[in-house]
Amino acid sequence: MNISGMLHGAGLLKLAGFPAAEVLGPEASEHEIHSLIERCGAVFIKPIFKGGIGKKGKSGLIGRAKDLKTALAEKERLYFAEHRVGNVVYKSRGVTFEGAVPAEHEIYFSLTDSTRYRAPVMTLTHHGGMDIEELDKSQIIEAPFDPLTGLKSFIVSNALSDLGAPREIVSPLVQYLPKLWDLFHHNGMSTLELNPIRMTESKSGSLLPVACDFKCGFDRDDPRVGRLTLPDDLFVTEANDFEQEINELRTYQGQSDVYVINEKGTILAPTFGGGANSLVTEVLGNDAIISSDFGGNPPYEKMYEVMRICLKYYLKQSNVLFIIGGKANNTDIFVTFRAMADALRDYFSEHGPTPLYVVIGRGGPQLIRGMGVFKDVLDALRIPYRIFGFDSAMTDVVNYAQEADRWMKSGGRAEVAKSLGLPADA
Amino acid sequence: MRKPGIEKFKYFVGIRSLAEIATAEDRVCVLNILGNESRSVTPISHAYSGGNVVFGTSPGRRGQVLETRAGNIPVYNNVREGMDAGHKFNIGVVYLPPAAVRDGVAELIRINPDVEKVIILTEKISVHDSREIRALGQQRGVDIFGANCLGVADSWNHVRIGGALGGDKPEETLRKGSIAIYSNSGNFTTTIANYLSIGGWGTTTLISSGKDVYINYATPEFAFAMANDARTKAAVMYSEPGGYYEQEVTFEKPVVACVVGRWKANLTRAVGHAGAIAGSGDDARAKEGWFMEKFGVKDLFTPDNPVCSNKGAVVTNIAHIPQALTEVMRLNGIERDFPPEGNLELKPWFGDDQGLKLPVALNIPVVKAMSPYDEQIAELLKNVGAIFPRQTMKDCSGSSVMDPKTQVTKVNGISILDTAKQPLESNLCLSLVRELNDANDNALFNLAVAAHVNLHGDAALAAADASREAGNAPNTAISAAIALIGPKRVDGARKAADTLIELFAHSGLLKGEDEQANTTPATATPEQLATLLGKFPDALAEAMLDAFDKRGAKSVFVRHLRALGGHPTAGAVLAALTTTIAWEPLVRKRISKLTVRNLPWYARLFGVFIGSATEGARHQPDKFCGVSNEEILQSWTVTQLAYLSLMAERPTPSSLFPFQVMLGLIISNGVGTISAQGCKGAVSADGPETPERVQINKGMIGFLTHTGFAHGGNGYEGIQFLIESFAGTPLADAGAADPGLDLKKMATDFALAFNKEKKASKSLGTPVRNIPGVNHPVFKGHPVNHDPREVYIADLFAERGEKNVFHDFYRALVQALYDNGVTANVFCVNIDAIIAALLLKLLWPRYRRNELGESSMEMAAFTAFLLGRMAGCAGEIDDHINRGRNMDTRTPASECSHVS
Repeated sequence: MNISGMLHGAGLLKLAGFPAAEVLGPEASEHEIHSLIERCGAVFIKPIFKGGIGKKGKSGLIGRAKDLKTALAEKERLYFAEHRVGNVVYKSRGVTFEGAVPAEHEIYFSLTDSTRYRAPVMTLTHHGGMDIEELDKSQIIEAPFDPLTGLKSFIVSNALSDLGAPREIVSPLVQYLPKLWDLFHHNGMSTLELNPIRMTESKSGSLLPVACDFKCGFDRDDPRVGRLTLPDDLFVTEANDFEQEINELRTYQGQSDVYVINEKGTILAPTFGGGANSLVTEVLGNDAIISSDFGGNPPYEKMYEVMRICLKYYLKQSNVLFIIGGKANNTDIFVTFRAMADALRDYFSEHGPTPLYVVIGRGGPQLIRGMGVFKDVLDALRIPYRIFGFDSAMTDVVNYAQEADRWMKSGGRAEVAKSLGLPADA
Repeated sequence: MRKPGIEKFKYFVGIRSLAEIATAEDRVCVLNILGNESRSVTPISHAYSGGNVVFGTSPGRRGQVLETRAGNIPVYNNVREGMDAGHKFNIGVVYLPPAAVRDGVAELIRINPDVEKVIILTEKISVHDSREIRALGQQRGVDIFGANCLGVADSWNHVRIGGALGGDKPEETLRKGSIAIYSNSGNFTTTIANYLSIGGWGTTTLISSGKDVYINYATPEFAFAMANDARTKAAVMYSEPGGYYEQEVTFEKPVVACVVGRWKANLTRAVGHAGAIAGSGDDARAKEGWFMEKFGVKDLFTPDNPVCSNKGAVVTNIAHIPQALTEVMRLNGIERDFPPEGNLELKPWFGDDQGLKLPVALNIPVVKAMSPYDEQIAELLKNVGAIFPRQTMKDCSGSSVMDPKTQVTKVNGISILDTAKQPLESNLCLSLVRELNDANDNALFNLAVAAHVNLHGDAALAAADASREAGNAPNTAISAAIALIGPKRVDGARKAADTLIELFAHSGLLKGEDEQANTTPATATPEQLATLLGKFPDALAEAMLDAFDKRGAKSVFVRHLRALGGHPTAGAVLAALTTTIAWEPLVRKRISKLTVRNLPWYARLFGVFIGSATEGARHQPDKFCGVSNEEILQSWTVTQLAYLSLMAERPTPSSLFPFQVMLGLIISNGVGTISAQGCKGAVSADGPETPERVQINKGMIGFLTHTGFAHGGNGYEGIQFLIESFAGTPLADAGAADPGLDLKKMATDFALAFNKEKKASKSLGTPVRNIPGVNHPVFKGHPVNHDPREVYIADLFAERGEKNVFHDFYRALVQALYDNGVTANVFCVNIDAIIAALLLKLLWPRYRRNELGESSMEMAAFTAFLLGRMAGCAGEIDDHINRGRNMDTRTPASECSHVS
């Protein structure tokens, strides 16, 4: 859940009373763009990417125009621009026009939580406007502070003293930066980055910090983000339909965390526990369709629903249904296995059989009753399977599931299909 | 005031040694003690720790207790009340929902100055609150564990605080030894302890740290406390990517570090552990590097490449931990705590190849599980049939479900559109054995029911007749008969079913009709024989066995009875028939033993139901409705018998099919219907937790008393409407290809008249009457509306080339109503119209012959509904007996309202 860019950023900064560059959205009229150029002398044209996409400037994805004609040409160039970050290609959905802010000083500012200090930390430098990683450590300061009192003026002031910042920027920053704590802490943010903040001359002759770019991340476990009444679809592109459907079940009782690793994977592995998730994701790699944690003792209804959705989206393409967890502390194996087995049986009733190999590894309360239920359903559906106890090394069980996948890929699937009375290519 | 902490740390840390983390002296207060998770975990922790929880809180529940094996734990509204009552504690455990955790921690440490440690189990706490919780703990000098952790445990002290480390049997996993465990994963804390004990290592203190962004009791504090704990000779650490907690730590004792999550670098969002998402400098590879540097090793430890030093080893596979630890400790001259208890090789506890030829790597034979699981598996395999967990079944059913979108109900997964194609006997069995019958099953069940329809000389028939004479509707009259079919009437058959199950349970028999099966898999004891055989020949039993042969039926159990060589009782024959049908679903654990035991009772009730639905005069010593007992036993189906009882005439194939479709359509309309609620209430009141005491016949009465002129009898409204429309026509055969009527004109005439009536009503302000069978609250609002069930039935009959003038009239009517401006769009013809049209078509000839008056027509419509619905309600009764709790259908007083 990230926001980058001034289209929404300017509005959020306004809530905190922090000055921001003037911004127009993709729907801006030529007249509006023209008058923005008149007022600011120039405009920056930036593509709009959903989520927190950085390094646009380096990729030549920021245009600058001093006249309307250039501005419109840049709009045309960048409106559907594509931006590759790693293996993922992001597509722009329009552009913003941001008024230029003349300034001598550019500031980098961010707020986040630090595991080194176990406290919120302000990162600050007056050598902003460039990648923070490219600066020498002595040019940047990290200042942890007490969240119960918040980011106070003296913390900013001390940090600027330590940095040896120019005198003229100290007072305006000490005055304005603490406002950002309220925006950060009270609206469910986990990171906030303004880079650059340009120190422009105000009417009175003193300097005024103006945010010229905006990035923030929200904590998905914090309902405070709702206070900002952001558009509902702002974060939608970050999850696919499957994740979206599972996320609707997200409550604190029983986990329903899921991440699609490989849409074309062949092992469907509902996993229980954060540790098992790490281990299984590690070993299965791209064979896995999803990375998930469904532990936390989910009730029957929730487990059934989670499994129903998993099967609906991915069972047909799966060679192996692999249910794996360690020795559960509190998750009731009978309840969770009954729910999953029922969902599997109901899938077969509704959609007909599909060739499958089932591998299970688990320990915990009501283990044998849970395994018994699964065994009965698998026997009834005539699906080959192995169910391992917690005295088998979990990684070996993962390897066994991969072996089953390999066999299914090299003729096993056709054999299972035949035994279920299905065509060989089912 | 902040308490003084340990000088070594720049921040507050109070714990000097691991031995101080979970001690026998610690006293615990649990916040939200009655919450779902705490309710199951706290009693086990409390008992395991010798009773260390002094009280818990749950706002509004003061005075309640949490029962445990070590005595009840009192519950108060808040911490202050508990302390006012004299309880003292030094550890707070937090099970509150995420939004309440921060305030809970504040309550603990501000109300009780003696609090030293707080353990937070809750996951999904916002980072905002985590920041403040950390600061609160630092401000007051309190050691906090978590959040999103599973607490702490001490195998030496036999103490577990907070979460569920070690699961529901902590003593099984928390074995006394020399190794401390510190793990980012709660589950892996237990799993690693389990792996260690298999490898010969026990534990001292176990800490589940949690893996949120904020870890309050982190690696540096752990390393310090480990150094000061004389019991601990080494530690195992399980560490995930994200966070710099491990970077600056110095260990003074050997450590095996397990770092998992290299692949997680590919993810952009945390799954499970909120803090397990890394930046560039704190991913899994970076962490492996930190540990390798501390231990002075150049590579990861694997069994093939056992790289380690006396300071430690780094593994990336938790299964390698025991071996790595053993190697590291060998370099320190320290032996295992106890002999290894096994190995971690693959050991399938269950498996089946389903007849496939698997490659060697997959074809691992099933092995005997470790104790005590081997005994549990043996018990499980001994068990026959499904065991359903009990739960509150109010408004809840495992038998039927209605799709609110399509309004189509499914009974045991089969849509009523499909049950409409099945004969009644198959639908009756579907409700109970949860699967549709095959031809042999039908033959068996037809015989089982047919044996009980003729009630000549039975008090049940006299009761029904007396009820009818008193002016009661069919449901009440049938109830009177059903009331007399109590448990004593079927005791013999139920005991016989028990015997058959016991004798064949472990014979390997998969299908009850298996002609090749061994008929005497076990020798019956004299007691068992007494349930199957009588001293003298039983006429009904002999007639049934004769009919069994005539029907060409197959049954292992009937062959078993015959092989015994005595005089099987009628109850035993009935049980043999029903047990044959139920055997396959029983073996596959689709249904319970209880259902199979009660099946003869249901069969008999269905027989009496059908029999008592017609007047007493039609029951003769040797005939039922004019058909000989012998013929009925030997060839009649339940559907035919229901037709015979209702119409008092032999059905023809063309008259039977629409009758069957109509019954199949109405077997259930979901658990919310009054009829289902009635039968479930009757079961609930008897107490399904003692299933033996539930009177199934009373359950059927509950269904019957919850039908009436408005529910079940209202089918007649449609018939009445059609009669009004057709009485003045010369219609003789409602199924004729050309009935000789102008339906469009009839519909238009009606629409115009109705429009006039509607306008008059509006001007008078009186309500406009509804046209029965037209419109539906769900299927409306489109230019042309259809009830999918009506469409399905229309297509079904069209395929068979069968006409129904009443159905056609309804279709013409909805169009005419629209064409003449009476309705805003073309309303649907609904399912009630279908039922009325089907039934009236059957009754029309007798109506035309003046054999049926209005009242009789109404009773016939009502009875037809009852005959269909008895299938669905029998399913609800059986489901509730199997799954329900005593009195679970009651509504709490708080949800009831009062009017005056």
